[in-house]
Amino acid sequence: MTAELLVISPDLVQEMVAHCLAGRPNEACGLLAGKDGVVAKVLRMTNAAASPVRYALDPKEQFDAYSLLENEDLELGGIFHSHTRTEAYPSPTDIRMATEDVPYVIVSLARDPAEVRAFRIVKESWTDPEGEVVEVTVRVEG
Amino acid sequence: MGRKEGAVSVEVRIPTVFRKFTGDRSVIEVEPGTISQVIDQLETQHPGFKEQLMTDAGELHRFVNIYVNDEDARYLDKLDTKVTEGDTVSLLPSVAGG
Repeated sequence: MTAELLVISPDLVQEMVAHCLAGRPNEACGLLAGKDGVVAKVLRMTNAAASPVRYALDPKEQFDAYSLLENEDLELGGIFHSHTRTEAYPSPTDIRMATEDVPYVIVSLARDPAEVRAFRIVKESWTDPEGEVVEVTVRVEG
Repeated sequence: MGRKEGAVSVEVRIPTVFRKFTGDRSVIEVEPGTISQVIDQLETQHPGFKEQLMTDAGELHRFVNIYVNDEDARYLDKLDTKVTEGDTVSLLPSVAGG
């Protein structure tokens, strides 16, 4: 089985990382809009949890972003957030709270330059506290 | 406001996480009513969907947010919020982690 790919341009990676750096010391978060696994847009969002160890999309911003996806005929291509001091790998909290069936992109600021990896968190039922972590290959090109 | 039998005029937007319960449909049309009645109609059209949205205690699952047009139903009348013809109901999973 071939690993799933998430294709993103260097400029968009830079935009995502810049948003994460600007959010320090707290985690930062946002959405990736795209089509068929290719990211077209980075949607920078507010971390409503305003915490160095937690993130939560502001529900109203999320609603507006989902409306934008609808209006621009884009798909939710991924959800990104930063880990300020830990590896770019889903934390137990990330797994427990994962809901959407899209790649979760993690930007680790523990490294310089920042490390970007993506994972699907596969659950039997979307409310399950546990899930299987499957890496999605991030291909930076374009 | 008279009851219109068979009127189909409220759009429910379905996020990706729930599309496996709706035969991959992103929009479902239902009749006006309260949010509870909208959820019951979703269950009728797509059996098994309701238990994805509600707890056994009959409350909205805490990871689900519902918008009526651009208003969060939590700040309206929650499950008793009325939706009328032309309204759009959006279901959103909360997105969070650590």
